[in-house]
Amino acid sequence: MIDVQHLTKNYPGGVTAVDDVSFSIEPGEIVGFLGPNGAGKSTTMRILAGYLSPSGGQVKVKGMDVTRKNLEVRQCLGYLPETCPLYTEMRVGEYLRYRADLKGLSRRHRRTGVERAMEQCGLLDVQKRLVGQLSKGFRQRVGIADALVHNPDLLILDEPTIGLDPNQIVQVRKLIRDLSSAHTLLISSHILSEIEATCNRVVVMNQGKILESASLEELGHRWSPGAELTLEVKASAPEVDKTLRSLADLKRIQVKQDGAWAHAELLFANDEDHRERVFACIKEADWDLRELHARRHSLEETFVKMTGGGEEV
Amino acid sequence: MKRFFTLWKREVASYFVSPVAYILATLFLVVMGMGFWFLASVRLRTGATFYELLRGLYGGVAWLAVLMVVPVLSMRSFAEENRSGTLEMLLTAPVRDIEVVFSKFLGIFTVYVVMWLPTLAFYPLLQRVSEQPLPIDFGALAAAYVGVFLVGGFYLSIGIFCSSLTRNLIVASMSTFAVVTLLFLGGFLPAVSPVPQLREFTQPLSPVLHMMDYARGVIDTRSVVLYLSSTLLMLMITTRGLESRRWRA
Repeated sequence: MIDVQHLTKNYPGGVTAVDDVSFSIEPGEIVGFLGPNGAGKSTTMRILAGYLSPSGGQVKVKGMDVTRKNLEVRQCLGYLPETCPLYTEMRVGEYLRYRADLKGLSRRHRRTGVERAMEQCGLLDVQKRLVGQLSKGFRQRVGIADALVHNPDLLILDEPTIGLDPNQIVQVRKLIRDLSSAHTLLISSHILSEIEATCNRVVVMNQGKILESASLEELGHRWSPGAELTLEVKASAPEVDKTLRSLADLKRIQVKQDGAWAHAELLFANDEDHRERVFACIKEADWDLRELHARRHSLEETFVKMTGGGEEV
Repeated sequence: MKRFFTLWKREVASYFVSPVAYILATLFLVVMGMGFWFLASVRLRTGATFYELLRGLYGGVAWLAVLMVVPVLSMRSFAEENRSGTLEMLLTAPVRDIEVVFSKFLGIFTVYVVMWLPTLAFYPLLQRVSEQPLPIDFGALAAAYVGVFLVGGFYLSIGIFCSSLTRNLIVASMSTFAVVTLLFLGGFLPAVSPVPQLREFTQPLSPVLHMMDYARGVIDTRSVVLYLSSTLLMLMITTRGLESRRWRA
C-alpha cells in the first residue's frame, strides 16, 4: 500500500527533517508512527499525503509515485493533518458535502458518503451546527469524517487524539478500531498507550531516522531489559537475599525490610517468565508469601530507551 | 469543472457569511454615492454633459473606491487559509493548484462585480430627480463598467498574489495597497514626467488614462489585452508560487 525508499526531506536552513527513511505498509495493516516531537513524523505524513514533495528518495502509494502522480495519490487516500484545520464558518454537513465535491464524488455517492462518514464518526446530531462552535473532540471527528468521506483504502491520521479529553480519546480509539476492518491505517502519535491500544505494528522515528519497524511484541522483546519480578515474603531481608541470589539468570536483586516482611525486586537477564521458579524457591524456604508480581514493560519505557533516555530532542 | 465550481462557490459564500463583504460594500457605496451626488449636483448645474459625469465618476471617484476595496477583498484569499492551516486541507484534496488559484480569483471577482452592481441604480435615479431628462449613453456606460472590471480584475490578481506570500492579513492588504497605489500613481507619469522618453513609454501603460478612455466609451483593444494578459500572468505566478511551497516548506 505504501512503499517508501530512502526518503529524505530537507527544509531551508539546512534542517533535515527526514533522513534516508525506508519502510513499507501492507494493505490492511494498522501502523503506528511513533516518535518524540520533531522526529519527522508529520513531515513524512505530509509527503505521503502529497502536501510536500520529497527532497530525495521515492515514495509510492498503491504503486503510484507521489511526485509524478500527485493528484491520483491524493484521490486515493484520506488525510487528517495534525492541527485539523477546518472552515469554521461552515456547517458540519455542508463542510463534508463540500469536501466530498472536492474529492469528485458524484451527487449520489456524495449523499451516501457523507451520511456514512457522519454516522461512523457520530456527527449526525451536530450536522447543522457551525464547525466553529464545535468542541475540539467534535472538530477532530469532523476531520476524520472528511478523511473518510470518499471511502479511501488508505487513511493517514496525524495525531488523531491530540488535545482530546479522556472520554473523547476512548471514542476516537474505538472509531479507529472500527475503521481498521475496511481501511489501511497509518496513525502517528507521541502518546504510546495510544499506539498500544490501536496498532498492530509500529514504526519508530527519531531525529528523522527510523529506529525500529516491528510488531509491538517484537519491539518489547528486543528492547526489554529483562524480566522483572517483585515479591514480598515473611522473612528477614538478608536471609531472602541469600536464598534468592542462587537463582539462575538473575542479574540484580534488591531486598528491603518492611516490618516482618521482606520486599524483594528481582531482575533477570532474559525475558522469560520466572515466576514458577521463584515460587518453588519460596516454597522450599517455607516463607509466607503475600505478593508475587511480574512487571510488564510498557511501551513507554521501551520508547524512552530507544529515543535516548527521555532527553529533549 | 465541477471541482472548480465547488471551490468558486465556497469562495463566494465565505464573503457573504462574514461581515467583511457587507461592511466593505456599504463603505464602497457610500464613497461612490457621495462622488456621484457631488458630480451630479455640481456638474449638471454648471451644464456639464453626461460624458463629463461619467469621466468624473469612473475616471476619478472609482479610483478611490478601487484602491480601497481591492486590498480588503483580496487579502483573505490565501493568507487566511495559510494562517488557519486550511490550505493543507485544500492542497491535499485532489484539486490542481491552478484550479485553486483561478477559482479564488473568480470568486473574489464575483464579489467585486456584485459590489459594483448597485451603482447602476444611479442613472434611473438621476433621471427621476433631474428636471430635464438626461440623455444616457448606454454604450459609454457599458464601456465604463468594462474598464472598472478589467482594471479591478488585474488589481485583484495582484492582491491574490500578495496574499499568497504571507499568512498575515494586514501584511497582505498593505502590500497590495502599496503595489496598486504605485501603479495608479505611475499612471500620472505621462502627464508629469519631465523626461519625454518616459512620458512616451508610460502613455500606453497608464491605468489612469485607460480608465478615462473607458469612461468616454472607448474600449481600446490594446488596453484590454494588457489587462487580461497581466491578470493571467499574476495568477500564473501565484500558481507557481503555490506549487513551490511543496518544495520549499
